[in-house]
Amino acid sequence: MPDAANYQELSRRYGFAPKPESASRLTQLVSRQDSDLDEITKVIDKDPALRKRLLRVANPDAENEAEYAIETVEDALMRNGMGCVLVLAMGTPLAQALTKSFQTMLSLKLEDIDCNTADPLDGEHLLGTIGFSGKVVGRVYLRMNLVSAKAIAAGILGISPDELTDPNEIKDAAGELLNIMTGNFKSNLCDAGLDCRLQAPEVKLSSDFHTPSVPGGGLERLAFCAGKIQLFVDVTANPWSD
Amino acid sequence: MPAKILSVDDSRTIRLIVGRALRPYDCILCEAANGEEGLAAAAREKPDLILLDVTMPVMDGVTMLTKLKEDPALKAIPVIMLTAESGRDNVIHIARLGVRDYLVKPFKEEQLIEKISRNVTLQKKEAAPTMAAPTV
Repeated sequence: MPDAANYQELSRRYGFAPKPESASRLTQLVSRQDSDLDEITKVIDKDPALRKRLLRVANPDAENEAEYAIETVEDALMRNGMGCVLVLAMGTPLAQALTKSFQTMLSLKLEDIDCNTADPLDGEHLLGTIGFSGKVVGRVYLRMNLVSAKAIAAGILGISPDELTDPNEIKDAAGELLNIMTGNFKSNLCDAGLDCRLQAPEVKLSSDFHTPSVPGGGLERLAFCAGKIQLFVDVTANPWSD
Repeated sequence: MPAKILSVDDSRTIRLIVGRALRPYDCILCEAANGEEGLAAAAREKPDLILLDVTMPVMDGVTMLTKLKEDPALKAIPVIMLTAESGRDNVIHIARLGVRDYLVKPFKEEQLIEKISRNVTLQKKEAAPTMAAPTV
């Protein structure tokens, strides 16, 4: 049986949820070295959420849409190249996995918010990172304040935050969230022929996080909230590193 | 005889979630934090079912599964993969090695129990004052 049909049959048998279609299509288009910009533009233009995210990535210094200097998908692609399309394609399964993790593990509805208007993380906070390398190289950064980190770990473990006294359990829960997020987008990349390997997650306390610089690649900054919990996710990627 | 289940995952969080899901049932839960420990635990404990992560330090889940299926004494133990990775090539490769089922993280505890119940008989505890600690 051909691999595609075999995979469809296995997906049915195992009860896999369908993968986000426009993100999968976008990843396939980016994975080709001779990517067709018109086709990529059409895919993004058809998906309002992707279009909004692309323009946000293309205007990193703007605090709102009125300040956007780049206003069309074509201009954004011309100015930012394939690196930014790649982070868009990766961000969708990553955000879906994070949202689903909150629904299934914490019974909380996670909403995406504008990272420019979210409360900034001041002082010491939890920083989790996981790198990936292969035909795509990059890193995912997950940040949250200590109250949020404790609430998440306690929620996942089904105990109250006061019962959670072991800092390693807080770090392990954040590391597992990172694993779930990156595992989901890695599957999307590998399916498009962009094979890559994940490194082990690292979780530590930090007070001096700086937005990473990605020459020639893409950076997307995402923020989410659920009640008082706030999460910041930064994704960097450079395609065709091998 | 209660079912014996081996959970192999480097994340203590996932092992705790598995333990919580199984708490209402009369079963014995064993744990291992990587493939190497998992193989040793499988040989020692002879579990009725193994829940296996893919990405782990020391020895990953695919290597452990390969070695398990090469061992005449262990190859009949059913395995459910419990992983965030559901890429096509990975899933096909793992299916060919011989797994009974596959559950993508994040998962609901009910989904886990449903998949486990397809492979071993899980009986609810009649009155459960305390839960036995897992053996590592």
